Amino acid sequence: MRFRTQLKNTRTFSKLTASLSSLGKVCWMRLEYDVVRFTVIPEQGTQVWAQIPVVRVKLVLDLIPQVNLTDSSPKDTIFEESSYQLESNSDAINIEINISLLNRALRSTFGASSSQLRLTKKDKMPLLALTVLTTEWTEGNMALATDESGEQSHAAGPSAPNEVVGDRRARERETWITQEVPIKILHEDVVESLHEPHCPDPDVYIILPNLMQLKSISDRFTKLASTDSKGRQSGIVVADPAASTTGATALTTNAAPKLELSANMHGKLRLAIATDDLRIASVWSGLVNPPLDPAHITQDQASQLPSERMREAGDDDEAGWAKVRIDGKDWGRVLSVGRLSPKVVACFINDTALVLYVYLPGSWNGEESCLTYYINSFTT
Amino acid sequence: MTTISLSLAPPALVRLHDVLICLSKFSDTVAIEAEHDLLRLSALNSTKTAFASFACKREVFFEAYSFEVRRSIAGNGGDRFYCQILIKALLSIFRGRVDRNKDTAVERCDMELHEDPQQTECRLTVKMICGLGVIKSYKLTYEPASIQHAVFDRSRATNQWTADPRFLKQVIEHFSLSAEQLDMYSDSGKAVFTSFTTKIMDGKEVLKYPVHTSVATDKRDFEEFLVEDNMHIAINLKDFKAAVAHAETANATITARYTRPCKPLQLAYEFEGVAAEFTIMTRGELDGETAPTSSRAAIRELSQRQTPAAPISGRRHETSREATQNTQMPPPPPRTRSIKPLNGTSTQEHLSRSTASERPSASALSMEYDSLFVPADDDRQWDEMNEEEEEEPQDILGWDASGRPDAFEATLRDEEPDFSRAGTKTNQEPKDEMGIPPTQRISQVRGFGLFD
Repeated sequence: MRFRTQLKNTRTFSKLTASLSSLGKVCWMRLEYDVVRFTVIPEQGTQVWAQIPVVRVKLVLDLIPQVNLTDSSPKDTIFEESSYQLESNSDAINIEINISLLNRALRSTFGASSSQLRLTKKDKMPLLALTVLTTEWTEGNMALATDESGEQSHAAGPSAPNEVVGDRRARERETWITQEVPIKILHEDVVESLHEPHCPDPDVYIILPNLMQLKSISDRFTKLASTDSKGRQSGIVVADPAASTTGATALTTNAAPKLELSANMHGKLRLAIATDDLRIASVWSGLVNPPLDPAHITQDQASQLPSERMREAGDDDEAGWAKVRIDGKDWGRVLSVGRLSPKVVACFINDTALVLYVYLPGSWNGEESCLTYYINSFTT
Repeated sequence: MTTISLSLAPPALVRLHDVLICLSKFSDTVAIEAEHDLLRLSALNSTKTAFASFACKREVFFEAYSFEVRRSIAGNGGDRFYCQILIKALLSIFRGRVDRNKDTAVERCDMELHEDPQQTECRLTVKMICGLGVIKSYKLTYEPASIQHAVFDRSRATNQWTADPRFLKQVIEHFSLSAEQLDMYSDSGKAVFTSFTTKIMDGKEVLKYPVHTSVATDKRDFEEFLVEDNMHIAINLKDFKAAVAHAETANATITARYTRPCKPLQLAYEFEGVAAEFTIMTRGELDGETAPTSSRAAIRELSQRQTPAAPISGRRHETSREATQNTQMPPPPPRTRSIKPLNGTSTQEHLSRSTASERPSASALSMEYDSLFVPADDDRQWDEMNEEEEEEPQDILGWDASGRPDAFEATLRDEEPDFSRAGTKTNQEPKDEMGIPPTQRISQVRGFGLFD
């Protein structure tokens, strides 16, 4: 069992791990020959399945000779085939890792000249080791004393603490950093039962607007609904048992406010929240309902899809809207993927689920670097 | 009767604030010690493994400083005054940055303290003289205290390095926030800093193990680096961070001095008339042969130690001693000794107490740093003892509780024989009682089949 690779674009990798860790700490990493998969399945809330391809720079070059190297490799590639080594008895190595620890460790790679990730063992403990070399231009020896005379005195001793042995000339400073993240090796049997959820064909699919905007509005709504419930809590006067139970249910539902997210096939997305006291909605229009890939689906099949029926409904017809109710806090965590500035296609399955396909920049249309979020809809 | 009065200029107030912030990372209270020519602020942490001290020089740090003692108080050790104050209380007065643009900015700070046995109420008065004639006055209660210093003999330090705190901070930044310990060693031109944690983890919760970070830097990044190769020395990362953070605000280069593992290390620097010293107990392996600094290795060794299966080699004649050695110090062990915190009153009293009284779970798992103030106690005491042999004076860390003004400098040599005597006593006393060295509990020994 061997795994070793150089890391490119560690900032992207760091953002990816940060987004994953917002949903859950424990991540199943599946190292395959041409792809690395990350899966986070928290006990409750949204699960995410991500795949990051090992990019074959050379292959792309062969196919499209006129494209030069820098263009052919997507700019946010993390794993590159030239340095990617994997040996396993089965098709893959499955490991479990605390993704937030990996995320923290990746901070050391910022500005590094080389970063390597490899599987290793120390005292029989499996580890994912991150080795980083940083080179930094230093203006002589740490600024405080830069006079030339210090350079001559190489024979400093404890008796002469003011003298200096260090080399004071400006030079490249090299620092090696090793971060060893503990992992658990998972046997193939353990992961066999884990499958990506199957979903019915979506009723509506739409490209989400700017995630930062969407997140700030969502968070604002969530906050409003929670403060509203708090205000009610103090205001409630328990007169009779019946009133107190209704009050209690209202509180429990409000404690985790649910957002209503809906969209139609005419480029409209609506975010709303409703409590007993308030009802707010934001509507985006002019969004894109992306066409389906004709390679995967025939014209006939396409016309049978539920989304086509939804499209037939008029722009202002409420029947053409697919709606899901999602937990506001969980949704906020999902939207943290916005830091990768991806393109997100949201697939609405009315009253059932919301599936987000998150494409990292540079892999758009490459359909490979993709995170898939499965969000269940709450019933009313 | 004791009188202290002093004045501080605004820059010194900021410095004082920074010092208090730094001290608050060690203890809740700051010990204040006045002498004729300096005022010392110090703090000792609760496990007594780290002692931070800032000595502010009279001429440089203060605008005005006067200290008078009328020797009427018996037993107060002469020309010193000690007290301790809650740091939180002081921090609410010394708030850091002084906004000079404000009309009512602080222009001067006067502090006064009169202690008089005739008076029922003694307070520390702080007056902030601000612009527009605003005067803010505070009265603080203080507690009397017996103040001690960790003694560290610089001349005996065999290892020394000096570095810019900004550089050290860059190193620290790679460590995970939950890391607790810092191991340092040098190896062929490299200075290696490794963070690790000795917390015992449930074997199943592998994913909660801390990340192990090591940063290898070039020796040339230090202003000075004279360190024995491959000698691992470990300290509390928190203490190191506190010192580095403060040195950075003071813009002073830090010098670390130490001899070997399990001996104190001192981080020192000077700035604007203040001498800062952090005396920190270290841990590590005395031999320093191999480099198993992994926390995971340590964990495994520790858990091994719990299983009572120590083979007893009969190499030496003192079996009980040998048993201790085997059980508590397996071949490449991290150090395990029960904590013997000395509260500083009398060395002997505490030693006897620590041997006699029950020690709360002095098992190997509760292994911690040794207190700074255990005199001359190291692994060698478990070697075959040569009672006649005069223990060589070491750079031991002792308490200077004498209160004599000259004690700190002059008594260094004088105290050492005391400690070595005390050290010998540690070896002798248990022999008289049970034949078991003091770090061993009887219940533990039974587990090994020697006494049942």
